[in-house]
Amino acid sequence: MRPMFHRRDFLSGFGRGFAGLALGAVLHRDGWAAGHGLESAMPGAPHFAPKAKSVIWLFMNGGVSHMESFDPKPMLNRYAGKTIAETPFADTQQAKKLAIERLVVPDANGNQRNTLYPLQTGFRRHGQSGIEVSDWFPHIARNVDRLAVVRSLWTTDSNHGAQTEFHTGRNMLDGDFPTLGGWVHYGLGTLNENLPQFISIGTREYWNQRDGAYLGPAHDAVPLRIDPSHPLDFGKPEKPERADWRAGGFDLLRKLNRERESAFPSDPALAARIASYEMAYRMQTSIPGLLDLARETDRTKAAYGLDQPHCREFGMQLLVARRLVEQGVRFVQIQHGGGGAGAWDAHGGLKANHSKLAAAVDQPVGALLNDLDQRGLLDQTLVVFASEFGRTPGSQGSDGRDHHIYGFSCWMAGGGLRRGVVHGATDEIGFHAVEHRHYVTDVHATLLRQLGLDSRRLELPGRKRLEQDHGRPIEEIMDS
Amino acid sequence: MPFDLKRVSAGLGVTLRRRLVECALAFAFCADVAEVFGASGEELYTSAVKPLLQERCYACHGALKQKAQLRLDTRAAAMKGGKSGPAMTPGQPVESLLWRRISASDVQERMPPEHEGEPLSEAERKIVFDWIQSGAPAPSGEEAEKDPREHWAFRTPRRPPVPRLEGVHSRHAVDAFFGAVHARLGLVAQAEAEPGLLLRRLSVDLIGLPPEPAWIEEAWDQPGGWYERRVEQLLADPRHGERWARHWMDVWRYSDWWGLGEQLRNSQKHLWHWRDWIVESLNANLPFDEMARLMLAADELAPGDLSRLRATGFLARNYFLFNRHQWMDETVEHVGKSMLGLTFNCAKCHDHKYDPVNQTDYYRFRAIFEPYHARLDLVPGETDFEKDAIPRVFDRDLKSPTYRFIRGNEAQPDKTQVMQPGVPDFLSPPFTVHGPIRLPLHSWRPELREWVGRDHFSAALNRSNATESERMRALAAHSQAPDNAELLHRWMVAEASAALAKAELHSVSVRSKAGASEAAEWVSASPALARGDRLRGEAIRAERRVAAARAALVLAQARMKRLTAKPGSVAEDQAVGAAEKQLSEALARESSPIRPDETFARLEGARWTPTRFLSSGSDDPQVRFPSESTGRRSALAAWITSPQNPLFARVVVNHVWNRHFGSPLAPSLFDLGRKAGEPVHRDLLDWLAVELIESGWDLKRLHRLLVTSDAYRRSSSNHGREGNLALDPGNQHGWRRNPLRVEAQVVRDSLRAHSGLLDFKMGGPPVPSAQQAVSSRRSLYFFHSYNERNLFLSVFDDAKVKECYRRDESIVPQQALAMVNSALAREASESIARRWSQELRSSDPSGDRAFVEMAFRRLLGFAPGPRELSACLESLQGWEGSKQRGESARAQLIWVLLNHNDFVTLR
Repeated sequence: MRPMFHRRDFLSGFGRGFAGLALGAVLHRDGWAAGHGLESAMPGAPHFAPKAKSVIWLFMNGGVSHMESFDPKPMLNRYAGKTIAETPFADTQQAKKLAIERLVVPDANGNQRNTLYPLQTGFRRHGQSGIEVSDWFPHIARNVDRLAVVRSLWTTDSNHGAQTEFHTGRNMLDGDFPTLGGWVHYGLGTLNENLPQFISIGTREYWNQRDGAYLGPAHDAVPLRIDPSHPLDFGKPEKPERADWRAGGFDLLRKLNRERESAFPSDPALAARIASYEMAYRMQTSIPGLLDLARETDRTKAAYGLDQPHCREFGMQLLVARRLVEQGVRFVQIQHGGGGAGAWDAHGGLKANHSKLAAAVDQPVGALLNDLDQRGLLDQTLVVFASEFGRTPGSQGSDGRDHHIYGFSCWMAGGGLRRGVVHGATDEIGFHAVEHRHYVTDVHATLLRQLGLDSRRLELPGRKRLEQDHGRPIEEIMDS
Repeated sequence: MPFDLKRVSAGLGVTLRRRLVECALAFAFCADVAEVFGASGEELYTSAVKPLLQERCYACHGALKQKAQLRLDTRAAAMKGGKSGPAMTPGQPVESLLWRRISASDVQERMPPEHEGEPLSEAERKIVFDWIQSGAPAPSGEEAEKDPREHWAFRTPRRPPVPRLEGVHSRHAVDAFFGAVHARLGLVAQAEAEPGLLLRRLSVDLIGLPPEPAWIEEAWDQPGGWYERRVEQLLADPRHGERWARHWMDVWRYSDWWGLGEQLRNSQKHLWHWRDWIVESLNANLPFDEMARLMLAADELAPGDLSRLRATGFLARNYFLFNRHQWMDETVEHVGKSMLGLTFNCAKCHDHKYDPVNQTDYYRFRAIFEPYHARLDLVPGETDFEKDAIPRVFDRDLKSPTYRFIRGNEAQPDKTQVMQPGVPDFLSPPFTVHGPIRLPLHSWRPELREWVGRDHFSAALNRSNATESERMRALAAHSQAPDNAELLHRWMVAEASAALAKAELHSVSVRSKAGASEAAEWVSASPALARGDRLRGEAIRAERRVAAARAALVLAQARMKRLTAKPGSVAEDQAVGAAEKQLSEALARESSPIRPDETFARLEGARWTPTRFLSSGSDDPQVRFPSESTGRRSALAAWITSPQNPLFARVVVNHVWNRHFGSPLAPSLFDLGRKAGEPVHRDLLDWLAVELIESGWDLKRLHRLLVTSDAYRRSSSNHGREGNLALDPGNQHGWRRNPLRVEAQVVRDSLRAHSGLLDFKMGGPPVPSAQQAVSSRRSLYFFHSYNERNLFLSVFDDAKVKECYRRDESIVPQQALAMVNSALAREASESIARRWSQELRSSDPSGDRAFVEMAFRRLLGFAPGPRELSACLESLQGWEGSKQRGESARAQLIWVLLNHNDFVTLR
C-alpha cells in the first residue's frame, strides 16, 4: 500500500478543520511529505529558507493619525485653516482619485474633511537614519534605526471594517476570509507543541472576524488574557474538583482511548483526539508560567512600563508577547484600544486622545524592540505596528480628524528587514500615497516572504484567491 | 522508484494537484524535464502542460468558449489553431503563438488578458516552452472537452437501472449500487455494527440525542425488527424535526439578528419564527419542494397565511441595512449554492470560468430578487414590534431596475440595458414570469387583519386602565395633603396622562372602524359612502384630540418640572411657555374644519424594516405596501422545484446523504458544476434524486431509505478488512461506515440529556447569550448570530452564519479544555453519577462493575472489554478510599468517559 493514499483518505475523511491540523502537524511530524519530495508543496513547512520565525503584530484600533505619528506634514501647519481647494493641493480631491473607496457602513464618519488641520504635536529627526517621528512617540523614536517605516499604504473601506480588511486583505463586502495570522498558522508547522501557535491578546469587538474563516476553526487565534488565574477560555476548572484525582483521570482516559485502537485500528481521528488532550494538558500547565512575570527582573519590568499605570496594561501584554515568541509561538496578535470602533478613533479631541494613547503604547513598544534585540530575537521576530487607516488632513469638528484610507503609515522591524529606512511617501498634505503605493496585503506578502512562505501556494480547492489577496512583498525594505 | 506524477495527481484534490504541478515546475527549473519525468514530453503534457492549460486557458479556448475560434483542449485543436493560425509549431517554441502570447510583455498582446487572469509565471511558461521544444507530443486519441451544457448535473436526472447481482440478494437499492462496485473491485463489505453503536448512531442521527436506556436494552436483546421499529419511532419523534432543522439552518444560513449595539444591521428581529416553521414542516413531513417554494415566495403563493409566511425568513435573513448590493449578492450566491448547486457568485464580475453561466445570467438572476424587502407582521396578542412579529418578505419596489455592473463594480452600472428576471437558459424547464400577482387586501393592508384592531384596542385599554389607576392614586395623595404643591402637580400630570390614554383609546377605536370602512369601499369599488366620510372625519378629530391631550400632558409635566427648578433658572419658564403655546395651537386645530384631502393614520399591522441605502444618515423614505407582487420569485420557486430541473433534487439528496454518512455523494455540497468533479456514485445519486421527486418529495421516506441500508448499518472499523484499504482507502465505495464527530449541539445536548437536565419544550424566542450557561433548552434554541456565539458550541465548530454547507470537524486542544474544565461537563458528570447510582441501587446491587458497564453502554454505546473494565474499576477503587466518597469517584469516572473520544464520535 502506498502511504500517500492512506494519507489522502485521512485528509478527505475528516473535514477541513482537521485537515488543517493534520497537514500542519501530523504530516510533517511523521515525515510523509519529506519522503515524497513534496516538502515545498505542502503546508507545514516553509516554501523557502525563512528569515524570521515569529510575528508580533501590534494593531492600533480606531485609526492612528499618520501625520501625527510617522509621516509628519509641515504643510498642514502652513495651510492650516485653508480649505484644500484653496491650497496648491486641490487636485488631491478629484473624484477619480477617491474612487478606490468601498464603504461598508455609511454613517456620519468616513467623509472628506476639507479644512486643513494643523499638526497637533511637533516632530523631529531621530537616530542615524534621521527619520522623522512625532513627539508623541519618544521611545519608538529612540529605536527608529531599527524600523522600516512604510508611508504609502492604502485601503478601501473608510469605516472600521478596514480593521478586518487590514487582516484579511478583503473588503467586508466580499465576505469572510482568513486573516494573515490564520494563513501563517495554516502554512507553518509548530515551533513548540506545548503552546498554541497563534495567539490573540486584547479586545477585538468591532473586528469580529474568526481568523481561520474557510481554513477552518483550527486556524482561529487562541484568545489569551494576561491574567495568570484565567488566561484561556476553559483554561482551568470552572467547578471545584479534586486536584489529586485529575492526573489519574487523564491516565485512565489515555488508557481507554488507546484501548479503542484495537477495535478501530488506524483511525486518524482517534490518534488526533489523544494528541489534542495531551496538547491541552501541556498548554494548561505551560501558559500560566508564561504569564508569571515575577520571573522578569525589575529592570525589565520598569523598561516595559509596568510600574506606570498609564502603560502598564500594554506593557504586560508586550512583555508576555516577548516570552511567547521566545518559547516558540508563531504569531502573537495584539489589539490595542479594541472595543467599539477602537480607541484611536479621534473624531474630536485628537490631541488629548492621541497623546494619551501614544503614551500608553510608546514606552512598551520601545522596550519590546530593545529587549528583543538584546536577546538576539529581533532577527528572527517580525514586529509590526499598524492601524486600519490614517486620519484626514482636514479637521472634523473643531479638533478632530476623520477616517482616511488614501494614504497612511505602518512600520515593521526585525525578521531580516532593513533597519532605519523609510519607504514610500504621501503627498505634501498626507492625502494620497503617491510613491510606492501599497495595498495592505503587501504587508502580508512581506511578512510571509520573511517567514519563508509563498502565499500563492496557500490555496484551498474552490477558494479562488485574487491578485490583491496575495499582495507583493515590499522588496525595498528587505535585506538582500 | 520514479516519481509517478500522474498517479499521484489523479488521486489528489484540485489544490494538491496544482501544488504538484508547481512542484514539477520547480523540478523543471533545475533539471532536464525528460530526466525528471523519467519518460517523455508526452508525460509532461498529460501531467503538467494540459492541467495548466485547463486551469488557465480552457475557459476561453475550450468547450465553454472559443475566443478567436481557438481551442486548446487537445493538441490537435491547438495545431489547427484559430483566427491567427496554428497555435504551435512543434519543436519551435519561439515561433509558436501559444508561447509568444503567454510570454508577451505588452498587456494588449498578453494571454490571459488583463482582468481575465494573472500572467503565467516564469516556471509555467517554461514548462510550455519545453513541451513545444520537445515536439509537443500528446497521447493519441486525445478527446476534446465535452459540451458544458451536457455536463451530467445540467441534465434532468433519469432513474438508472438498479444493478442486478448474480448470486447476491440485495434488498435495497443503495446496497445494490455499492454491491456492484464491491463485486467488481473485490471489496468485502464490513459487517453490521454492534447493536449499541448502531442504535447510538441512529438516535443521534435522527433526533440529535443519545438513545434512552430502554431502547438500549432492547437493542442488546435484538428482538426481530427492532431496528426498523426504532427507525419509525425516531422519524415520528418531534425531536427529529429539531435535529434536522439545525442541518437545514446551517445550509440556509440561519442567523438571529445582529448589528452594532441596538441598531439592527443584519438579518431580522424574531427570525426564530422561520426556525420554528422549519421544525414544524419537517415534523409534518411537508413535501420538500413545497418547503422550498414557500421559502422563496410564500408572500406570493400563500399571502394570506401568516404561518406559511414564516418560511420567507430564508430571504428576510439576507437583509443588510446599508448596502443593497451586498444584500443581493448574498441572496444570489446562496440561493444558487443552497438550492441549485451553482456558483453564480463566480459570474458577478465576468462570465463563469467553468460553467456556461454568463455575467448577464448573474444579473438576470438578481433581477428576480430585486424588488423584495423585509417587513414585520404583527401576530395575534402583540402590538409591540420589538417584542414579537413575523419577519417576512414582500415585493416593495416593483419597478426597481437591475443593471449589469461592469466587471462587477457597483459604481459602474451598464444603464443601456435593464436586466430582465431569468435563469441560465441551458437549464430546463423554461423559466416564465406570468406577470404581477394581485395580493389579497389583508396582505397589503395588514392592519385590517381581524386581530390587529382588537389587539391595538386592548393594548390602548390596558394603558388607559393603568393611567386611570395612577390618576386615582395621585388624586388620593393630593387629597391627603392639599397644600403640598408637588402632590398637586403629580395629580395634574396623572390627570393629563389618563386623558391622553383615553383619547388614544378612542382614536384606536375610531381609526380601526374608519380603516375597515375605507377598505370596504375599496373592495366594493363604490364611491365614497356617507358613512365612510363620517368615520374619516371622526378618526381625524380623534387624532387631533390625541394631539391636544399630548400637548396638555407636556404642559403639566413642564409645570411640575418648574416647581423644582433652581431659583433664577429661566429654562423651565421657557419650557412652560412653549408648552402653553403648543397646547393652544393644538386646541385651535382640534376645532378647525376638516380639509377634504386630510387623512388619518391607519393602525399599524406590519412594519417595513427600513433601509439606509441612500446614506442620508437616516432611514430611507417609507412607502406603502403594494397591492401587487411581481410574481418573479414564485416563478423561480416553480422552476427550481420542477421535476425537470436537473439540480435541486440532486442538491437535496447530496445534503441528506452527507449528514447521514459523513461525506457527500457529489464532492461539493454547493457546486455541482464542472469545476467540482464528478460523483463516484453518480448513478446512486441520480437514482435517489428521481426517487425523491417521484415520492412527492417525501423527505422522511428518503431518511428511512438511507438509514435502513446495509451501507448505513455497517461497522466503521477497518478491522478484518485490511485488504480493502489498498483497494479503496478513502472508502469511496461504502464498504464501511465513516466515523463522524458529532456536531456542537449534539455534544451539549447529550451532556444535558444524560444528566436528565434537558428541557424538551419546543419553539419560541431564542435563549439570550447571558442565560445560556444555566439554560436547559436544546442548543438549537440558543441565540446564534455573527456577533453572538455560545463559547462552548463554538469550540466544537458550531455553524458559521455566513456560509456553512458543511460543518467543520476539527480536533483541537480547546475542545479538550472545554470538556475537561467546563462547568457543563463537570456538572453533567456529577448528576449522571448520582442518577445512575440511584437507579442501580434499586435494581442491581452489584456495585461498581454494574455502574461501569451501564456508563459505557449509555455514554459510548458499547460494553467495556475486560481491560477497560479492570482499568475503570481500579481507578474507582483508588478514588473511592472510603465508601462515602463513592459517588464522587463515580462522577470522576463519568467525567473521564465524557472525555472519551467515542463520546464525541459516532462509531
